Amino acid sequence: MMDEYAIGLIVALIAIIITFVAAFREKNDIHRLIIADLAEVSALAVIALIATDLAEALIIPGLVVGISELMALSEIYLVREHLTHPVKNPFRIEVLDTAPAIIAVILVVYGIVLCGFTGGAVAGTGMVFYFMGKRPAERFALVETVSGYAWALWIVAFFIFMVVPEYWFFAVMLAGGAILAKVTAKMSLIGTMRGEKDV
Amino acid sequence: MFELPTSSIGGEELFVLPFGDIVNYFTPYTGALFLFALIFTLICIFSKPEKQLDVAFGTDAIYAKDVTGKDLHFRRFMAIACGVATMGAVTSGDVFNFTLFVSMVGICIIGIVASVKNKHVLNAAFNYGIISMLATVPLFGGAAITLAATGTLSIWELSAIAPAMPGIAKALILVGVMGEGIAPFYAAKAELFRAPGAPYVIMIHVSSLLMFLRVVEIMLTV
Repeated sequence: MMDEYAIGLIVALIAIIITFVAAFREKNDIHRLIIADLAEVSALAVIALIATDLAEALIIPGLVVGISELMALSEIYLVREHLTHPVKNPFRIEVLDTAPAIIAVILVVYGIVLCGFTGGAVAGTGMVFYFMGKRPAERFALVETVSGYAWALWIVAFFIFMVVPEYWFFAVMLAGGAILAKVTAKMSLIGTMRGEKDV
Repeated sequence: MFELPTSSIGGEELFVLPFGDIVNYFTPYTGALFLFALIFTLICIFSKPEKQLDVAFGTDAIYAKDVTGKDLHFRRFMAIACGVATMGAVTSGDVFNFTLFVSMVGICIIGIVASVKNKHVLNAAFNYGIISMLATVPLFGGAAITLAATGTLSIWELSAIAPAMPGIAKALILVGVMGEGIAPFYAAKAELFRAPGAPYVIMIHVSSLLMFLRVVEIMLTV
């Protein structure tokens, strides 16, 4: 009788072998790219099989490496195939000119009430909707600046935790607010991905 | 039987920097590798890019390809990042950190090659990128199997209980480093197509060579 780790490892290795065979047989470049990403996911599965806290901590850098390689390669693919400019005009819907502001305000206010990571996600959804409805390039520099300051505040909160732990409540509030702004700004980036120049 | 005079291939440790159980260290061997990477990073920082000359056939004329502005900044930044990642890889005292640095070197190499806007060069960068993405699978897989089999990733603890690392994990990490270190073949393609490369392309060769030398040391120690 084998233990669970061995069984899981065998299954993961079979998956890896299948993806590698597929990667070497495939000739279409965009399909090869997707298959290579699949292979990375199976590597994450091998790490996850260890099933400890350390494995959890190792998955995140593995995931980051995989995503950054995927983004770099897709950018190379786009430049190589001259796909950097959109082929058709973005569509316009009348209600998207008026509604986003109201819905975005509701979501952002509710996100601020929630605070922290969840609040950032809710507020970010509102911002995504706003930027998708309005013109993409609108005031984006401001959002970027806010995101930068939020990151700095987050780091300051960490230093407070380490250097003067007795002010932990202030640090928690600082980190919560900063991560709210940070996640919001990150998500509103998605809303601007409409193929405008330099976006 | 012949026996090595010391248990570790690189000799006595010269300098140790502990972060918890992740202990970065220099031995004379890795110190030499680190200095090598440092020197070539400095070369990349301070040297001016090469101006390549193309002959126009049938005439006496030549074209000089100039690397300026944004292109230059990006390639230089990528070369420096590649050098720093290599330095991290040679000093790292943790198997997983080593694999992460190796894949970071791979990403930087993609950046160095891909900054030339030439279809053939971009093709080479894309193909290398696919290989390097696939190579992260055996790299991380080997590190994960090591952790599962021995319960630690620290090279110090692994070398204390050597031979602890399972053979399959060693083989996987070696295959992974070979996949990431295959870059010079693709970089050669960029040079063949007369894309202006020097001195930044040198960083590709240096980093893959140093990764091979370091992985041999790790494999013999643990």
